[in-house]
Amino acid sequence: MDKFKLEILTPNGVIYNDDAVSVVLPGEEGEFGVLAHHASLTTLLEAGVIDIEKKDKSVESILINWGVVQVDEKKVIVLVEGAVAIRGDSESAIANALEDAKKLIKDIADSNPAIASVSAKLESAASRLL
Amino acid sequence: MANLKDIQRQIKSVSNTQKTTRAMKLVSTAKLRRAEELAKRSRLYAAKMNQVIAEIAGRIKCNKVGGIDNRCFLKIENPKIVDVIFVTADKGLCGGFNIQTIKAVKKLLSEYEERNVKVRLRGIGKKGIEFFKYNEVEIFDSVTDLSSKPDKKRSDNFILSSIEDFNDGKIDGLHIVYNGYKNIITQELHVNHLLPVDSDQFECTEVQNSILEIEAQDEEHMLTSLVNKYVEYNMYYSLIDSLAAEHSARMQAMDAATNNAKEMVKTLNVKYNKARQAAITTELIEIISGVESMK
Repeated sequence: MDKFKLEILTPNGVIYNDDAVSVVLPGEEGEFGVLAHHASLTTLLEAGVIDIEKKDKSVESILINWGVVQVDEKKVIVLVEGAVAIRGDSESAIANALEDAKKLIKDIADSNPAIASVSAKLESAASRLL
Repeated sequence: MANLKDIQRQIKSVSNTQKTTRAMKLVSTAKLRRAEELAKRSRLYAAKMNQVIAEIAGRIKCNKVGGIDNRCFLKIENPKIVDVIFVTADKGLCGGFNIQTIKAVKKLLSEYEERNVKVRLRGIGKKGIEFFKYNEVEIFDSVTDLSSKPDKKRSDNFILSSIEDFNDGKIDGLHIVYNGYKNIITQELHVNHLLPVDSDQFECTEVQNSILEIEAQDEEHMLTSLVNKYVEYNMYYSLIDSLAAEHSARMQAMDAATNNAKEMVKTLNVKYNKARQAAITTELIEIISGVESMK
């Protein structure tokens, strides 16, 4: 599988900067997936979960509240405002991340009607890890 | 000959000042560390954000992408009114930090005056506001306590009216002037031309000519909200960058002050010793001449 460079940046620093095989992004017009050699594209993201498939087939999920993505042939840059990565080495670490993520959801719940589906996705992302 | 007591008093007062400046330096050093950390983490995001916007602007320019007539990306030939936002500190005692920003603002003002452009000055930070008030330069609006405690919400609120006015066509440009952090001993003055997005430096090359595909039926909406975020974030970043710079400037100024005080105590001590010696000599001469006269 071809891979591409994926960068996810928040105002508080880099949250992901590595190669990825595919990434699914919550676009404003609906979810879309990006593979290597995708045509260049710039669009906005809404609150949702970014699913990254890495080289070793593992999947990482990152919850975001708003973002913009710039895709070109070589790399994908995602700028997000607030993000929580659902990852951790132990169950408690994952539970903590999930807790943070739920907090972020609460913050954005008022402004977004599609939030229920986001929490559902989040739960499934977490259960995959546990 | 200076009075011994006077010199002693002077020495005491200078060493007291030294204590204060040293304490201020330590406080600034601690605060700088925090502010620097914050600025460093945000720098990458700000840079990428600007890059994305610049690329979009470049592509719009190079491709003349159909139908995009968003004001933010068009070159405005004859601006009539522009907004200039300056960020200064709320407090002084930080060397030339504030005055550098003020000078840059004044330069910008006179440039626009020559071109007959009206400037709406919007100020952040007590020091700059006080300066322009004192010099009777009209300030459109101002806010304090924001540069010392950067807050995303308040900064968004502040900048929002400029963005709205720009979109409504009330103003034709938006600039932010601030003194940013370069490293621990240098500050760097930034004059950022935020709106309209400057696409001049963008060369049309093969790569950038690739199609700009904005996946949204409503390109206008996407560009507007992207530009909003871009301006908002730039404003916020200016604040945190300026705060880090302020602390580094203050740290430096206070360090210099402490050193100066040290020097001064030294020279005063020499002066004191000389005066004391002179007093002793005079006394001795008086005694000896007294004895001599009794012979």
